Amino acid sequence: MKSTKFSELSQEQVDRKWWEIGDFFRRNSLWMLMYCTGCCAIELPPAMTSAYDMERLGMGPMATPRQADILLVSGYLSLKTLRRLIYTYEQMSEPKYVVGLGSCTINGGIYHDSHAVINQLDQYVPVDVYVAGCMPNTEAVMNGFVDLMDAIKHKTANGWKKYRDNYDWYRQNQIASLGEVEVHDEFHE
Amino acid sequence: MMLSMLYGVGIAFFGFVLHTSVAGINRKISGRLQKRYGPKWYQEFLDIFKLLSKRATSHGWIFDFGVIMALGGIIATAMFIPVTNNFLAFPDFDNFFIFAYLIAVGMLGMAMSASGSGNPLASIGVMRALTTMLAYDIPYMVVIVTIIKLTGTSSISGLALYQQAAGNNWFIVALPLGAIVAVLALMAGLGKKPFETYIAPAEIASGPLVEYGGKQLGMLFIMMEITHFIEVSLFVNLFLGGAENIFIFLVKYFAVYTALSLISNVYARFKIDQVVLFFYKWPLLIAIVQGFIAIYLGWVI
Amino acid sequence: MASIELLLIIALASGFLAYLLGRVNRVYGAIVTIVSSMFVFSSLAYFGFTDSLDTTVSILPYVTFQVTYLGMFFAVMITFIYAMVSFFNPMFIKDYKYPGAYSMLYILSMAGVIGVFFTDNFMVMFFFFEFIVWTSMFLIPLGHSRKAAVSYYAFSAVGSFALLFAIFMMREAAGSFGINAGLAAISGTNAIVVFILLIVSAFAKLGAFPLHTWLPIAHGNAPHPFSPVLSGALVKLGAFVAVMALIKITPNSYVIVALDLPLAQYLVAIFAGLSIVFGTLMAIRQDDAKKLLAYSSMSHGGYILLAFSLGSSIGLSGGFYHIVTHALATGAAFLAIAAVGRQTGTTKMSELGGVIQKMPVTYVVYLIAIISMAGIPPMGGFISKWLIFQAVIDKGLILLAAAVFFGSIGSFLYVFRPLAALFLGQEKPQFKGILKEAPVIMLIPMIVLSGMNLVTGIFPNIFLQFINKVIVELGMAPVVLGTYTIQGTNGILDPLQITIAFGIGVVIAFIIFILLKKSKQVGLMDTYTAGNFIYSEELMHYSVDFYAPIERLYEKHTTHVQDMYKSLENKVKEFGNVVKYFFFTNKPEITVFWILIIIGALLWGDLL
Repeated sequence: MKSTKFSELSQEQVDRKWWEIGDFFRRNSLWMLMYCTGCCAIELPPAMTSAYDMERLGMGPMATPRQADILLVSGYLSLKTLRRLIYTYEQMSEPKYVVGLGSCTINGGIYHDSHAVINQLDQYVPVDVYVAGCMPNTEAVMNGFVDLMDAIKHKTANGWKKYRDNYDWYRQNQIASLGEVEVHDEFHE
Repeated sequence: MMLSMLYGVGIAFFGFVLHTSVAGINRKISGRLQKRYGPKWYQEFLDIFKLLSKRATSHGWIFDFGVIMALGGIIATAMFIPVTNNFLAFPDFDNFFIFAYLIAVGMLGMAMSASGSGNPLASIGVMRALTTMLAYDIPYMVVIVTIIKLTGTSSISGLALYQQAAGNNWFIVALPLGAIVAVLALMAGLGKKPFETYIAPAEIASGPLVEYGGKQLGMLFIMMEITHFIEVSLFVNLFLGGAENIFIFLVKYFAVYTALSLISNVYARFKIDQVVLFFYKWPLLIAIVQGFIAIYLGWVI
Repeated sequence: MASIELLLIIALASGFLAYLLGRVNRVYGAIVTIVSSMFVFSSLAYFGFTDSLDTTVSILPYVTFQVTYLGMFFAVMITFIYAMVSFFNPMFIKDYKYPGAYSMLYILSMAGVIGVFFTDNFMVMFFFFEFIVWTSMFLIPLGHSRKAAVSYYAFSAVGSFALLFAIFMMREAAGSFGINAGLAAISGTNAIVVFILLIVSAFAKLGAFPLHTWLPIAHGNAPHPFSPVLSGALVKLGAFVAVMALIKITPNSYVIVALDLPLAQYLVAIFAGLSIVFGTLMAIRQDDAKKLLAYSSMSHGGYILLAFSLGSSIGLSGGFYHIVTHALATGAAFLAIAAVGRQTGTTKMSELGGVIQKMPVTYVVYLIAIISMAGIPPMGGFISKWLIFQAVIDKGLILLAAAVFFGSIGSFLYVFRPLAALFLGQEKPQFKGILKEAPVIMLIPMIVLSGMNLVTGIFPNIFLQFINKVIVELGMAPVVLGTYTIQGTNGILDPLQITIAFGIGVVIAFIIFILLKKSKQVGLMDTYTAGNFIYSEELMHYSVDFYAPIERLYEKHTTHVQDMYKSLENKVKEFGNVVKYFFFTNKPEITVFWILIIIGALLWGDLL
């Protein structure tokens, strides 16, 4: 049979095809876990309700990290919350994305010189999309989500892979900031 | 035998597709109610397939086994559903009690898997789901007993045919009090708003579903869509006279489900003991009164 | 041919053999219980089903035998439970103070079962009835508490005396102690009295409301391997008495036309319904798994009584089948809990958790048992409950239907509680590393019982055909059975079809599951805690006050019946004190004086 031109797809090509199909579903159904630490969180209610209606993009809030795709960090992170953020991030199922809202996640924002607040979120968990501004207005937030969808489409939202590959580096940064915990119980962490 | 089994699997698949679409459309409708644009009508499909494509976390074999048992039990239950008079897999064997109890296999599987995740919130959610079930199922069953006693058959398609026969009203008209109870019980069964204590995302982090992500959650979503399909089509067959053809079925199905979601959109959530007290106060009383006047006095419209 | 007498004698003799061997080595005595009960069960079943049981009596005085399908049904089922449970004895025998006595009493109580069900004489039946009560009474205190035995005996005594009075009344009417003659001869007002007495006896044995308080005390405190015998086998003696009262005697009572049911039967049904509801409510709030199962036995006893009181052949069939399925299910569940109790030393759910990690087989056995107990297909409990529903609906009993469904849905609640609190969840640190799966000899009976639970659910007609013979013997029409189908009054059931459908569903779900990406395995402590770090298992395991919201609604009303018996007990004590005050003072001459007066009064008309 010479007329059939189909060449055997290699396993990687098959995987990539499946991955692209998966990406279609993933970018059209993004569920968020909102980690509302800072003031930027106030921009989310208008984004969700009738003014901007995030649900038309297939997005919605979710209750637990296991179910969520996006970890939405809205604002500054103190050292105590950072520890919990990392724990939460590691509980999410892959592929997972991180969106940082506001300048606090980029460079510390107005808290840049505080002893209790970290400046660059990127050092501890990989961030896929930043939304700049102090605070960013709702259009910017929505735009950030659309950017994330584009990034997923073009396979550039690879933060979770980066975290897996460079885990030691992230771990080192985390320990450098947070310090080792000697006693593991409910009160010391 | 094997052929009707395949037929049954087809019905389960039909139910999944149908309910997922109807639920998606209803999300759009509630979006419009809240002056939003709302998601795409096929959003539920996207959600489910996305979940299936993710890499999940598992808490051990019972966690996975429970999910398989849940989906398997619900598929088995859906296989017995008569969609229309002719679109059914097992003509004489669609006994009501099969639905009432086979559906429990799925529920048990899900409950087991949720508790197997080791999260206390999941166990609390299961506890609430079972408690809610204890509340709403008794009045509902009493109404069903009345219907079976009146007609002398417990076959769902038989009951539908009975209502279609000349001179008989649909049971929603014939037994108006019972129909009120059935609607309330159906709302609780579907987890609609005043009674959705066991999901309660802001309170117990979506209850039984708290530890699921990825394929397990996707399979549970499929299971829930089919469960809702079973419950709504039972209502259509028991109280709305079933359907002569597929078109009538779709209309009735859509009407019932949409009406219920519209009602649920304007309600807040009950506490769990309020649910129990509510169902044992009014619906149970109404159901028993309906039973008495229908069976012993023969007052059927 | 096998002589029943011979079997009885072998059983009695092996009891004493067990005692002697138990004195030498306690395990030998326990092994004798296995051999003996397996022998009795298999010979009863084999010769019984081939209709070759011999009733001639040559050695035992006064004893006469007859073989009825009814008696054989009960005897085979109960000895089966004895035989299965006996495999647990060698593993538990070291805990008892009197191991030899335990083995002996275990076998003797089984020998009593043969006597009760194969005799045609009321006095012999009563003798063996008491024989069972006394032997089991001495078995119960070998567990935790002596008080349990007192409570068990007090309620059994009520049942026994009621039975004895009924027997005497029938003796008056018939002129002999023959069972059939006595039941046939009774009529008029006497029939009503006998009916009430027999029903009281049945309620006391079956632990139905309001004579239920001994159930949780006795079942909860009995030795672990004896609880399944009590719950699965011995309380079913009450069902036997109930059949005699409800089916064989027809007291002239007012017939409720709307229900097509005699008033007497309806009242029994109402009490049965109350047993179902109260048993369910009490089971929901227990912390001890064994007490939970004990209350569930009360609820299921209610189902059996209800089914018998409806007087239709489908109800009878449902009742008899429920006896089988409940015995199998509760036996398996109690054995699973007993295995956990042996390995961990406790059966309290608040102290356990995560047992499944180390005892998966026990878990599966318990799972199958509770699926049957909750009446979910494809297990046996579904079939029997379906038959009972058919009977209830056929009569149009709305209130009883509500009770029946309450018990049915409520059973989901209480059977799930041990599953979640005891088996699932995090493994408690105090059991880490020391907990092991139960030994093989304990797994054998559990697996056999699970298999039986499945068989009763998939091929119920094997059993229902025999039950049909029992029903025909009782003078009713048999239930219509197809090859695989059961014809009810308002529908037809094909258990095999349901099972195949369930199998196909599971296969589809499994294919979906296996095709998708493999999951990442994480531990049970790595769960969503809203970002908090929790390291202690106790904090993560939800097992205390499981159903708190629903318990809150009725927790103030849970002790009324106990209070009633408590005050009754006080009254009896007071009366005893009065008697003591008058008769047994420290002056013996007063006692002698009163005794003379009483003897004089008793003999007044006859001699003096």
